[in-house]
Amino acid sequence: MAIVKAEKTPARAAPLSERSLIGWLHKNIFSSSFNTILSIVTLYVIYITVNEVWHWGFADAVWFADSRRQCFEISTDGACWAGVIGWMDSIFYGRYPRDELWRINLGGLLVVLWMVPLWLPRVKAKVFIGLSTVFLYPFLAGYLFSGGGKGVFMQVMVTLAIVCLMGNTLHSVISLIKGISLPEFLIRAFGKSTAPEKTQHYLLLGILFCSFVAVYYWQSSWQVEAVSWTKWGGLFLTLVVSGIGIASALPGGIILALGRRSNLPFIRVVSIGFIELFRSVPLITVLFMATTMFPLFMPEGFVLNKLVQVIIAVCLFNACYMAETVRAGLQAIPKGQFEGAHSIGLGYWQTMGAVIMPQALKHMIPNIVGSFIGLFKDTTLVSIIGLFDILGVLRAVGKDVTWLGLHIEPLVFGALLFFLICFAMSKYSRHLEVKFSTGLKNMTPNKRNKS
Amino acid sequence: MAIDNRGRPAKHLQPNTSSQKKFEFFHDERVRSIFYQALMAAAVGLLVWYLYSNTAHNLEVRDMNTGFDFLNVTAGFDAGFKLIDYEPGVGTYRDIYILGILNTLFVSVLAIIASTLLGFVIGLMRLSNNWLVSKVALVYVEIFRNTPLLIQLIFWYIGVFSLLPKVRNSIDLSGGAEVLILNNRGLYMAWPVPGDLLWMTGVAFLVAVSVVVLFRRWAQKRLDLTGQGFPTLLPSIALLILLPGTVYLMTGAPLEWDIPKLEGFNFSGGAALPPAFLTLLVALIIYHSSYFAESVRAGVLSVNQGQLEAAHAIGLKPAQVATRVVIPQAMPAIVPPMISLWMNTVKNSSLAVAIGYPDLVSLFMQTTLNQLGHAIEIVAMTMAFYMTISLSISWLLNIYNKRVQLVER
Amino acid sequence: MKIRKLHLSAAVISVAVLASATSASAQSTLDIVKERGHLRCQVGTPSAGFYNLNAKGEWYGLDVATCQAVAAAIFGDKNKLEIQSVSSQARFTALANGESDLLSRTATWTMSRDTELGLDFLPPNFYDGQGFTVRKDSGLTSALQLKGAKICVTTGTTNELNMTDYSRVNNLNISNVTFEDWNVRDDTYLKGGCDAVTGDKSSMAGNIASFPNPGEHMILPETISKEPLAAAVRHGDNKWTDLVRWSIFAMVNAEELGITSANVDEMKANSKNVSVRRLLGVEGNLHNGLGLTKDWAYNIIKQVGNYGENYEAYMGDGELGIGIPRKGTTNELWTNGGLMYSPPMR
Repeated sequence: MAIVKAEKTPARAAPLSERSLIGWLHKNIFSSSFNTILSIVTLYVIYITVNEVWHWGFADAVWFADSRRQCFEISTDGACWAGVIGWMDSIFYGRYPRDELWRINLGGLLVVLWMVPLWLPRVKAKVFIGLSTVFLYPFLAGYLFSGGGKGVFMQVMVTLAIVCLMGNTLHSVISLIKGISLPEFLIRAFGKSTAPEKTQHYLLLGILFCSFVAVYYWQSSWQVEAVSWTKWGGLFLTLVVSGIGIASALPGGIILALGRRSNLPFIRVVSIGFIELFRSVPLITVLFMATTMFPLFMPEGFVLNKLVQVIIAVCLFNACYMAETVRAGLQAIPKGQFEGAHSIGLGYWQTMGAVIMPQALKHMIPNIVGSFIGLFKDTTLVSIIGLFDILGVLRAVGKDVTWLGLHIEPLVFGALLFFLICFAMSKYSRHLEVKFSTGLKNMTPNKRNKS
Repeated sequence: MAIDNRGRPAKHLQPNTSSQKKFEFFHDERVRSIFYQALMAAAVGLLVWYLYSNTAHNLEVRDMNTGFDFLNVTAGFDAGFKLIDYEPGVGTYRDIYILGILNTLFVSVLAIIASTLLGFVIGLMRLSNNWLVSKVALVYVEIFRNTPLLIQLIFWYIGVFSLLPKVRNSIDLSGGAEVLILNNRGLYMAWPVPGDLLWMTGVAFLVAVSVVVLFRRWAQKRLDLTGQGFPTLLPSIALLILLPGTVYLMTGAPLEWDIPKLEGFNFSGGAALPPAFLTLLVALIIYHSSYFAESVRAGVLSVNQGQLEAAHAIGLKPAQVATRVVIPQAMPAIVPPMISLWMNTVKNSSLAVAIGYPDLVSLFMQTTLNQLGHAIEIVAMTMAFYMTISLSISWLLNIYNKRVQLVER
Repeated sequence: MKIRKLHLSAAVISVAVLASATSASAQSTLDIVKERGHLRCQVGTPSAGFYNLNAKGEWYGLDVATCQAVAAAIFGDKNKLEIQSVSSQARFTALANGESDLLSRTATWTMSRDTELGLDFLPPNFYDGQGFTVRKDSGLTSALQLKGAKICVTTGTTNELNMTDYSRVNNLNISNVTFEDWNVRDDTYLKGGCDAVTGDKSSMAGNIASFPNPGEHMILPETISKEPLAAAVRHGDNKWTDLVRWSIFAMVNAEELGITSANVDEMKANSKNVSVRRLLGVEGNLHNGLGLTKDWAYNIIKQVGNYGENYEAYMGDGELGIGIPRKGTTNELWTNGGLMYSPPMR
């Protein structure tokens, strides 16, 4: 005889020791006498720290004052945040003319607009969007930030950037609403979905050309006031330097990594020498080198401004670090992938471009975000050689006669700002790591595949 | 399959070029390889020549000197902290270079040792089953990893070390023994003055060390052969302390301590470490320990959970589980990031230039370059030093990696 | 053979670059500046009194005023100016390679710098020197009264050496308390660790202003070392050197003649004094030699002010000043016993 229970036994609640607060405390904080002592000491340390920070940073702090002297009159124990608040524009934008700040804000907004589709699940052609961000956005932003007269080259590039941005945005909106790409949508809108492919191509090219001409005509009359690089500063400058650094480090790093893995001895030696040179010296020496030696390298009468010197130095430095990240990514690609690509008759560049790199880059995204954090933090070093990046501005606060001696508060604010940005990025990179590692489980990396 | 590790068919599988005369000359892999390399060499050569000719022209136009003669010129400035005898006006720029290297190495070595120890502790705290402790460690790691070292450095300098008490109210860190005194002029500590017979104690110590090594080897062999362990820890420690200690006392304790004394407004005697040095040391330790803590944690977590369960199942004690199962397997994952962190510590010590600790970059690349010019020589000499250090560290890393790989088999 | 073509064109391009590089022009600095439309003036990282940033991102200070004066003389607009903040390593290179037209950044004029670095120094705009800060309630009025005092000083500077010499020469028997960092030095002084602080007067004045009660401290009148701070230009372009030199002299001359930014219009219209009329371009042709317009000095005075006004604003008791008294010091006009002296402008 078989006894079959028709109903499921209802799940019992977890024992009290698992779900109640006391149970949790017992398990995680007071599990043994040693742990209890440890917890009490830790609690005491936390109390003291939090108390001090609370009193200095909030309870006794001065938020509104016109000068450090006024701060002192109100309270001498707390922080004088009034100085930081008064300098807020400079901390974010440096010496950029205050009437032109919208340009920096617009530039920031545009890059967000440009890159948002990369995170939208239904949008296709992400590689194109990503590439256009790296190659076209800098021209648009560069013109927005520096202004002045546009040469023909800049006119064309700015036009291309605007057309591309409009295309991107339309494409994403249409993808989200209709689930089809922009070209498809256009073809349908013109009722040519059944026309031969050639007609469709001509139609799309025609639309592209018309919009290019229209935008070119429109933007040629559009001009913004020139702002010299010496007025760039604050967080804005830090982001510009680190942004250009990371954008150029990736292609540079890929080239150097391929060079290092190349089987042409001369190219390999040159790549290794270059990579090892920059990886083994501190960034500050590279920056000093840039400011003292680059002027000697240039032909007489040709002046490279300091921002460009610094950016070149940062790019060289980061390309070498990125090269090692890329190499690690390449090493993780199983040999079977190379063999497979060759067996279907792909050459070197085709193998790399179509098979290996896309996989390797996907592997490396968390590491790339990690290097961006490092680069972003390292960019503060440019303040040592006299650029007014965010740290340079923070240090200038205490030297302004109105706020003379106010050193700690700006630094704390800067540290907080960096913490927020870097912490968010590092959380994101960890999230990506988890996301990608699940997708890679069935791929066994071949550890012996080293060069 | 006969494909080498770069994914190219092995030699014997490649199409025979002589049988395919139709194949264009340029499609021969060897020809292409030579051609590409020649092209690259030409480009590199052209670039080097271009930069060289510009530099030579600029140096000539600006009437600037070149060459390393400047190293023999006497330097007129003083360094705030020095490990060798140096007098401004007597010492040369070569002395400045050596002084800078020693200062860099001194602060880096101390920072490496201390940050490794502290990082290890924090890493273990992160793994603690006490929720509070592991969260405190987490906050520590996140705060110091996510803010720039330079901001931390300046913060410690302005915010902490300038707030230390003045000389008369010095803090005695040794609890009344007056051998370790901290005030706003720096850290003063007792310094050993070796006597004549101290070398005998040193020899005794070396003897003790070699005996301990042999003893432990023997114990390990016995364990491998018979399965019977022999207690090694206590005898080793006893030997290491007792042998040198006895010799030291027998030779009449030939070591005196130079103790800092308050004389008027100044401490004299002992060794003094200036605030800039302490700031740099503290900042380097804290920053790098937070990174090291993460690699310790990752290394320990990388040990397979099954290994732990198996170790417990065969009845190993917790201490044995740690020393015989976890640590040997975690070390290969901890050591490579650890060594690259050491390299970073040496490199990051160059931030000393922001707070005026006289390290190599600050003394040589800043002050000397400022006074003499000679940018190319000075930049090259400074970079050469860092390259030597980092290449030797990566050499160490390679040796370690090879050893670990052998052990695995 | 696509690649070979590429190689060839690369070679052609680099040769072209080389060719264009070697034909560098030997234009005069004034022409370059005029063509560019603004002056590039080099300062350092912010330093109280001399060059400072405010919360709006504008530069101000005594050395910045020199830059503004030159811009006003050339363009008639003191804002046609790009201030570059350059680190100390790169300061002389930046001037030598033409990145900056003028260096105005508390550089001490010394013989070796003047003769060996390819620089020409201009008339000093501030005579700095080492001095002493004391509490007002100590009743001291002269450094010679510091007998047996404990004095805080930073090590590794010439300050320590100068003070020891001064003490020995004047039999003061001073005992010194040395520090690595001036923050710590001042902190010790404030907590009563020493009777006085010694350092460069300008920087000490800035430090006093950051004390909780600056009114309780004062700088003694004695100066025990020479630090003439002056602007500098590239060696060799004499026309440019003349222009900058006389722009600086014009500010001193204006003070001697009593012309200020407030009364310059009235003086220009009504003054009968020939010197005033010549300076302001009403009479004579002083501007011809400089290659400027008639009203160059008028523009300087109108927009930037005379030397005394700027001193008062940035170094003296003005709102942005750091409170270094001028009376009785070397920075007073020669007519009042100081060193500020302009050769006659005629």
